[in-house]
Amino acid sequence: MNAIAPTAEPRWKTALNMIMNPGEIVKNQMIKIPWPYSLTISGLSFMLFFLQTGLDLLRSGQATTGTVVLMAMLGLLYGTAGIALLAVMVWALSQAEQRGLDMEWAISTFALGYSATFVYALSGLIFSLAFGWKTAVAFGVTGLLWALRPTMFTIKQMSGDRVAFSIAMTTLCGAILLMGWALLGKFGG
Amino acid sequence: METRLGYAAGAGPDGVKIWPAYLCFIIFGILMPFSKPEFKFTTLLLSLIIAIAVGFMAVNILIMAFNSGNADLRQTDGGFAREAVGSGMLFMIPFTVLAILAMVVLGWNAIMPFASAAVTTAAATAGTEAMKKGAQGIKNVLIPTVAAMVVSTVWMLLVGILP
Repeated sequence: MNAIAPTAEPRWKTALNMIMNPGEIVKNQMIKIPWPYSLTISGLSFMLFFLQTGLDLLRSGQATTGTVVLMAMLGLLYGTAGIALLAVMVWALSQAEQRGLDMEWAISTFALGYSATFVYALSGLIFSLAFGWKTAVAFGVTGLLWALRPTMFTIKQMSGDRVAFSIAMTTLCGAILLMGWALLGKFGG
Repeated sequence: METRLGYAAGAGPDGVKIWPAYLCFIIFGILMPFSKPEFKFTTLLLSLIIAIAVGFMAVNILIMAFNSGNADLRQTDGGFAREAVGSGMLFMIPFTVLAILAMVVLGWNAIMPFASAAVTTAAATAGTEAMKKGAQGIKNVLIPTVAAMVVSTVWMLLVGILP
């Protein structure tokens, strides 16, 4: 771990600050966030996102209640194991270990970046349940896009501020997540 | 090859690359008409004009905001705002590529969320770049973010009234 200056800031506040000021959090605050906490956030984010996808399919008659539950579980798996794998892949490609950043740091920082997705997914679920709206794309995908900024800062930190590499890897991560969601959505539906 | 765009020590405004940002705006401008139920050439033309105008407005509003909010820094480094905006706006690229993928591969017709997230994220990143160059205060992130949200909302409204 190379992070510096731990403070007494509560974890939930760090998670919210990851949306507003990811650069600062990635550089200085990640030492006090354990990876299971971060993976819980990304796991819940994707679970709610996939749940909305299932609910959208249910409303259009393309899925059953069982499928909706299955999709939510797939989302949980996607947001935990999937994000952890993605983080490890980027960590290895960016040779972050040479900069003193270990795998746990990478997983934790990567996963905490999905705080924005969580906020959007939660809001989307409320609108989905209260008004019957189709929210998977409007809220879920938007939330996923908003997570790209923390992802970029994480990759920049891991790669030693290599901008072109960060842009390429952020694009790759975004593409993997979007395509994966679309594929799993088809599978679930 | 390792690239450090926008980070070269002492790089003057001449070395600033704003064109990738304009290219992203142009690509979004081209994609927008394809998200409409019926493709029209006039829509494409208008969409391109709007995208270029919005891009020009976004870049210049950001440069103006950084310059006016950091007068001291401007005295010592006149090109800092342009450099920060150039570096920050590069981060529109992932969103632009994803928008193309979403439209071409996934067949989605929702391009505006990508454009909106691109502008806002790039503006906030430009703020972070400005702070790296010595700009003081979180206002350098918050003001560009709010400005970008306004710009992308205007863009969204204009795209909505296209024929």
